[in-house]
This record gives sequence, C-alpha cells and structure tokens, in this order.
Amino acid sequence: MKNFEFIAPRTLDSVVELLPGPRDQKTRDRVKLLAGGQDLLGELKEYLVSPEQVINLKTVPGLEAFVARDGGYSIGALVTLSALEESASLRASHAMIAESAGAVGSVQIRNQGTLGGNLCQRPRCWYYRHEHAVCIKKGGSECYAYGGLNKYNAILGGGPSYIVHPSDLAPALVAAGASVTLKGKKGERTLELERFFTLPSEGAVTRENVLAPDEVLTRVDVPAMAGWKSTYVKFRERSSYDFALAAVALALRMEGDKIAEARLVLGGVAPIPWRCDKAEKALVGRKIDADTCKRAGELALEGAEPLAHNAYKVPLAQGLVTKALRKLAGA
Amino acid sequence: MALDPLRLQDEKPPRAAAPGKKWVRVTKAVNGIDTEVWEEVADDAGGPQWAPRESMRLVSREVPRVDGPEKVTGRAVFTHDVRLPGMVYARVLRSRVPAAKVTLDLEPARKIQGVLAAVSLVDGDIDGEVRWLGRPIAAVAATTPELAEDGVRAIVAKYAELGFAVTEARAAADNAPKVNNRGNVIALSKNTDTKEVDEALAGSPVRVKGTWKIPVQHHASLESHGIVVDYRGGEEATVYASTQGTFTIPGDAAGRLGLKPNQVTAVVEHMGGGFGSKFGMGIEGEAACLLAKELQRPVHLLLDRASEFHAAGNRSGGEHELEAGVSPNGKIVAFKARVTRHGGVGRGSGHPLPYIYARDNAVFVEERCIHTNMDSSRAMRGPGHPQASFSMEGLMDECAYAVGMDLLEFRRINLPENKRELYMRQLEKCAELIGWRAHPHKNRPDLSDAEAKVGIGFAIARWGGGGNGQCKVEVRIAQDGSVEVLSGTQDLGTGTRTYCTTIVAEELGLELGQVRARIGRSSFGAANASGGSTTSPSLAPSVKHAAHNARLALFEKVAPLLGAKASELEVRPGEIRVSASPSRRIAWKDACASLGPNGLSAQGEWQAHLASSDIGGAQAAKVRVDTLTGEVKVLEMVAVQDCGLVLNLLAARSQLQGGMVQSLSYGLFEERVVDPDLGLFLNANFEDYKIAGAQDIPAMKAVFEDDPRGVIGMSEAAIIPGHSAIANAIHNACGVRLREMPLTADKILMGLAARKKG
Repeated sequence: MKNFEFIAPRTLDSVVELLPGPRDQKTRDRVKLLAGGQDLLGELKEYLVSPEQVINLKTVPGLEAFVARDGGYSIGALVTLSALEESASLRASHAMIAESAGAVGSVQIRNQGTLGGNLCQRPRCWYYRHEHAVCIKKGGSECYAYGGLNKYNAILGGGPSYIVHPSDLAPALVAAGASVTLKGKKGERTLELERFFTLPSEGAVTRENVLAPDEVLTRVDVPAMAGWKSTYVKFRERSSYDFALAAVALALRMEGDKIAEARLVLGGVAPIPWRCDKAEKALVGRKIDADTCKRAGELALEGAEPLAHNAYKVPLAQGLVTKALRKLAGA
Repeated sequence: MALDPLRLQDEKPPRAAAPGKKWVRVTKAVNGIDTEVWEEVADDAGGPQWAPRESMRLVSREVPRVDGPEKVTGRAVFTHDVRLPGMVYARVLRSRVPAAKVTLDLEPARKIQGVLAAVSLVDGDIDGEVRWLGRPIAAVAATTPELAEDGVRAIVAKYAELGFAVTEARAAADNAPKVNNRGNVIALSKNTDTKEVDEALAGSPVRVKGTWKIPVQHHASLESHGIVVDYRGGEEATVYASTQGTFTIPGDAAGRLGLKPNQVTAVVEHMGGGFGSKFGMGIEGEAACLLAKELQRPVHLLLDRASEFHAAGNRSGGEHELEAGVSPNGKIVAFKARVTRHGGVGRGSGHPLPYIYARDNAVFVEERCIHTNMDSSRAMRGPGHPQASFSMEGLMDECAYAVGMDLLEFRRINLPENKRELYMRQLEKCAELIGWRAHPHKNRPDLSDAEAKVGIGFAIARWGGGGNGQCKVEVRIAQDGSVEVLSGTQDLGTGTRTYCTTIVAEELGLELGQVRARIGRSSFGAANASGGSTTSPSLAPSVKHAAHNARLALFEKVAPLLGAKASELEVRPGEIRVSASPSRRIAWKDACASLGPNGLSAQGEWQAHLASSDIGGAQAAKVRVDTLTGEVKVLEMVAVQDCGLVLNLLAARSQLQGGMVQSLSYGLFEERVVDPDLGLFLNANFEDYKIAGAQDIPAMKAVFEDDPRGVIGMSEAAIIPGHSAIANAIHNACGVRLREMPLTADKILMGLAARKKG
C-alpha cells in the first residue's frame, strides 16, 4: 500500500486548509478524510484509493455533537450510528432515522461508523469494488453492471452509471427534510440533504454528491416533525448484516384516520435516495387500506426500468411500501 | 436397467474372505477424493470391546471439548498464529487473466526495501501457461506482510491472452476457447442407450421433468489455506500447516526443500476448518518452501481471503436434467438424468443420481462435465451428495404432488427395500418433531390470501463413514500417574482431541484432566487424512486398542502387588482391583509408582470390529415465506441421524447442527459470481459471498438414534439434506418451486409473479 501521511488536525479550519482547491477534481482523492473508517479502510485495502494524506477528523473537536433543539436535532458528522440508533428521544420523534441507523451493517460497524461517513460512503456495486474492473465510476467508459450481473443495481434513475446509493440513513434523513452543512475554503454552505445527492446523469459520474474537493461535511440538521410518525423498512438478503436490496423511509402526518401529509423515499433502488413525489401527493387525503398501499406502491415505482437481473426489485419495493404504510397505520 | 439395492458402492467384495479375515467397506480419502473400497481385515472379535453404553462415564456422554478454553481465550496457536525468530511473511500474486501465457519481471519487487525474495510459480511444468483465473503465479517474501503485498503488486506480469471461458455456458458454446487440450465438454458415462428408459417413460401416466441448477459453493474456512515453513538451512525442517492431513505434508515439503521426507516434521496443533479443501500443501505451500529454501529463514504464507476464494477449491456446481415416470400407485417406474458437473479445470465430484430413491426400475443416468478457466473444485463435505439431494428431493416432491400423494408415503414407496425401514423411521420422527401431522396443507401449497405462508419439507441423506487401518496410536503412562495419548492425527474442529482423551480416561478409570492428548505432529504415529468422515471410525478404535493394551500392560505390572493374575484385575474409577475380591485394590497413583522411571508405553492399531459404516439421516425444515417481499425465514430445522457409537454427544450434536447451518447457508445464500465477459470473480469476499449469520439460524433439534454399531463418521451426512428440505418447504408454503439455488427472494418474487399470471 502506498505510504501516506496521517494528519490529526485540531481545528476544522486546518482540515479545510489541507484539502485541495474547490475545483481540484482530478487530484481530490490525494487527500482522504477519516471518520469511522468503515468505508475508507475497505477502499484503501482494495486499492480503490491510494491517498497521499489521510486526515483524521476524530481529533477535531465539535464534530461529535448531538444536540436536540426545538423538537429537531443538530447532528455532528462524527456522531456514531450506534448513538443515533440508541437515542430514545430520536426514536420517539423521528423513528425512521433511529431505525435506519440501526439497520446499518453489524453492531461493530455501527459502533465505528459515523453519520458523515454513512452519507459520503462510496457505492457497493461489485464492479466498482473490484480493482480490475475500471468502470465508469472509476473513470472508465462503461458501466459493467448495465449489461452484466446487475441483481443489486438500480431500477430507477440509472444511467450512465447504475449504482444504488448504499446509505440507510440517507432515505430517512431526506424524508425528514434534513439539511446538510458543508465547510469549504470559502466558508460554510447549508443545503437540503435531498440536493446533496446527485444522479450520475446530472453530476459528476464518478461522484455521488455535490461535496466539492475543498469541503467537509460537518453536520446534519433535522427539523422537528411534531405530529408525524415514521418508519424505515429495509429488506436484506441475509438478516445478520447486509446492504439493502430495497428500503423505504416513510413519514406520515395523520388527521383522524386520513393522511394529511406524506414523505416517501426509497433506498437501494436508485443512485440517490429516491423521493416519490407522486406517491406522496396521492397519499394525501386517503385512509391506509389495501387500495392505498397498492396505489402508493405503483406510483412510487413509476418509471422503473429494471435491468436483466433486477426486475424483482419492483415488487419488492412495492411490498415494502405496503409494509411501511401498514406499520404506521397500526402505530 | 435397475440398480442394485443401495450400497456404498455398487460392487461386491473381490472374493471370499480368507480364514480369520473379513471384508469391510472402508472409506479412503486421497487428495481429498473420497473413495470407498473393500479391505480385508482380521476378524478379531476377541479384542477390545466398547463397554455397554449405559456403563460408560465419559464416552458417549456430553463432554465439553478439552481445548475449548484455549480456543475461546485465543491461547490456541493456529498455523496463522505461528511466529518464529527471523520469520518473514509471504504473499502470492494471482493471475488476473483466466487463460494466458504469462511472463514475469520480478526485479521491481526485489528492489523494494524489506522485500527479501521473489519467486515465479509458473516455471517448470506449466511453462508460463496459466489456465485458471487467480492461479498463483509468483510469491514474495518480506519482513512484514504489508511489504510482501507491496512486492507482489510491484511485479510486472505480462499476459498474452489465450481466450477464456469462465462460465459453463460460454465453455459449451460453439467455437469456445479451449480450456485445456482435452476439450471443454467431457462425456463421463459410456452407456448411451436410452431405449429402455424412454419406453418406460412413454408408458408412464404421470411424467415430471425439470432442470435443476446448482451454483459453486466455497468452503469458506475461517482459517485460510497456508503454511509456515521453518527451514533455516541444514537437514531438518518443521512445517506448520493448516491441513486435514498431517501426513500429506512432509513428503511434498521435503521435495520442494530438497530434503528427505523423514527430515521434515509437520505440525497441525489447531486448524480452522477445511471441509475437504485442505489436503496436501497446494501451490501456496510450494511457494513457501521455495522462499524458505532460498532465504533459509522461516516463511509464513497464509492466503488472504480473495486468494482463498480464487485458488483454494470449491464445491462443484452443476446442472441436472431429470425426468421421472410415475405409475398411478406412486411408484417411480422410470428415472432419466443428464448430469453436468461444473468443476472448473477439474471434473467436479460425481453427483450420485438417482439419490437413494427410485433405483429399482428403469434407470438411465448420463454424466458429463464442462470445464471452465476457473479453479478446480475439491472435495467438500459430502462431495456430490448435497448436489444430488437437491434435485432428487425436489423431483420426489414434484412427483408426489403430481400424483396427489402424501410426501412421506410417496417416499416410502420409492425407497429401496433394504433402507425403507430406516428412512421411514427417521422421516416419521422428523415429522413428529416439526409438527407435520398438524400441518394444515400437506400435499398442496397454502393457496389462501395470507401474506405469510408456512411450509414444511423433508429430505434424506446417506454416507459411508467407515474407518480404515492407517492409524498408529501410543498411550504412555508415567510413573507419576499421568497419561498421554499420542497420534499424528489432526483435529479439524470436530473434537478429535477430546475423544482421544475420553476413550483413554474411560479405559483406565481416570478423570479427563489426567489424560493429555498430543496430536497433530507427523513424528507421532501415522494417521489417515480427515476426509470422507473417516477420522473417528479409523482413529477411535485405534485409541481404544492402545488404551486397552496399556491397561493390560499395567495389569501385568501390578498383578504381583495384589497377589493376583493380570486377567483377574479390573479398573474402577481411580483404582485397580481384583474383580472377585474388591477389597484387594491399589490406587492409580500407587499402581503407576511401581512402573519405574520409564513408565509404560502401549501401541494401538485399527480394530475393524470397533467401527462400522453406512449411515442414514433425515432432516425437515419449516419455513415462512413472506409473499410481499419474497423473504424466506427458516423457522425450524430438525435432524434425525444414526451414527453407531456416539463418542461425545455434545460434539456430535454440535456437528449435526453445524451441518444444518452449512446446508441452510448453501441453500439460501451461497453462490460464486463470475463475470463471463470480463473474466472477473465478483464476490471473492465475505460481503458479497453471503454466508448465514447468527440471525439467519433457526431453532434446531438434532436427534441421534440408538444405534448398537461401532463408531461411524457422521459429519458429511449432516450437510446433505438441509437445503433440499428448505427448497421443498418453500414450495409447500407458497407454491413456488425453485430449481435453482440459492433460494433467494428475487427468485421467489419472480416465481410468485409468474404464478399470478397463471
């Protein structure tokens, strides 16, 4: 493995100083940020990145802050997934976020893994992860999954890359209307988390988000959701630990037995957390019954274009939408 | 042509036994290939006998394994843990092209500071020609594992590509690149006359036909393959190996080191799983020897996980095209099979079809193999049987449903006569344990609108599990009363060390802590390699014999002290006494004190009459299928097994459960994935090559039948039927018949969708 310089800065400013320039896309991977390391260490060991410098964020004070504020939360990038999973307050107010954190990997991974790392992690596609497959995600010319073995790849929003975003937290946080704060050389910016993730057809195909080379994700703010209830339903092939084959983050605000407002975001089916606007609108004003579940599922998967080996994801995701709706109907 | 009633092999002993001799069927594993042969042995009924089971204190009881504390505290030294003065670490470079003429420039590796040696592994016989993906082509030794890895990556390998086929579909296609010079598709059976079976099929009122597909499974041993070669020049070497055959190592290692076999000692103190993949020292072992010879320093070479997947064997996959003709009364009157084995550059294990059932009418089986540019398959726990079980048990269920019969009754009718009672007894017990009688839909799936559907399935297994006469065991009694039992054998994690101890302690009236087993060293007495479930039935009788002889030798010594003849003595816990006059006794310590400083040593050999062979087992699974998501949750598995004398009930149960877990994992998750165009192994890691974890494991019941026979190896039988029972249970639950493993949600969802469409 190429030797790298391991730097442990004491302030966020010095982190940002060490990062490349904002337009320095080509050489950005020369510097990598280390949080929980659950993704970075794998990328290093699989020779997917060979940085010259690794910057340890754990020595920077403040990034592990987890603060409740007016019913919402400000969550530092270094807050662990375990902390989110175990927060009784978060589970009470934003169940889907706590549930999604608890659905990540294994206990060991959740103890190490962080919020920021989970949102910025790279794809799990087995072509991307294979050193010798120089796919479009790694600067090659082709998405091998498209015409290859694509059981786990995207059915929505694909092209020219067909990865699925691997984060469990992302769909739940998008459904919660969270915003994300990025700090760069020119200062801070805050944007809706939904705008943070990019489709391969929109942004740089070798990236999954708008984070510039000079930026570090510092925190996520989750607004209050008084009157809402929510859940995260994930399907994995192996119960013990696995990435999602499909997942649903669902939040509802009920008035009586009718849905007044809905947020529905799919995971594991698209290169970004997949917001289902049409389904959300169609849910409004309806009771949760079999017909509602069916309709929501159909609308959520509208436009799905399965590849040769992943047509099952359509009924699977529809089934999960039904399960999530029913779970909240009973909640 | 009907087959003979079921036997381990379809041939009789070569001739009548000589006076005082008898024929026994023994299982031998040579380089991991299990074969069953007849062996003529002394008909020695007058030798040592197992005591009545109810009278034994330690054998056949629940004894925690004696090396358990060492293992769970990390004190146990596996090959991976060996650290020696001056030791260097080695890594291998794998061919990234499945078929190529390779030329290597090793110099860039040698220039790295800390890299001490780099060797080619493609010189000699193969002359640079690589025929399978991931074949080790070079090895590097360095002062740290990381530097060795750097060295491997610095090697410049040039590949003149030869064209490859890494999937069977590609290899069997017209104009496919040649995997080797024998041809890609090899016919393995001579008989091609299908007239009889075709006529029988044509005359059958009910015919069932299907193609079953079986993926390649990996052994996934937690300790990877590898060895530590301690050679520092001179005329002696010690080789620590993670192997199933202590005695498969010295000869090979000596050859590579330029020594004689008796100058090399193999050590296998503890090993972390083999499942059939660890016989001989492999290319990685050769590499370590080459490096050690060059450096004259100890070399540590354990494969990394990716290399383990690419280059350390696998269970052959296959495709079974089966057709059965069934009479209205439920008898299979015609069975026709075309079996294709997928063994990479190897031929794969034989898939013994028809498996147990349907042997006594028109039977036709054609077998072939398709070669690909992938690592050769090796033996894996029950080679060929789990594959054959999957299609056969599926076919049995499909036939039963087609004629509207109860699944167990249909099996009864089609079992061979000499095995009918055994298997029906076991199946009925499984049925009772899993709640079959109360199951609401026995011969049809749950056709209701329920979202979660529960189903039950059954399957059976057979195995040889006999022993053979390769073990030499020594029991030593010291003057201080301590006892050692010595054998070169290896403990694969099955509890070998523990029963060596219990058998001796039982025989000598001692507690477990008074006997120490020393195993895993080729300087001790010879022992067979652990393949084909042959270890216990070979070793346990030999240990018993040695302990028996030690006891008799001790009796000779102490008889004068008790004023009796040796033949009048008996052992009781902690003492030796005169049977007819129990007050004349001597405590163990005092008896041993009479031995003098040399103590006592006795030898033991295999006693055919203390072992037996030929076992059967049945398993049942209860599953819940979620028709919304396709999720399969195995709720419960039960197993009923015969295996002669159970040496340690705790270890045996654990082994039976381990088999159920491994077959559940095979059924639900495991599959090698290779890209046919890129020639890349896509899931050579424990993330994408999925193995069952704790949360995937059901409630399990493992039951041993009372079986008066001697010791029989049971491990393989345990893994054969589980996944087949699960596949049958899925169908019984939701009506989706999966003929392709793994039995994953995507297939169930697509199957349910197809059923809906009609």
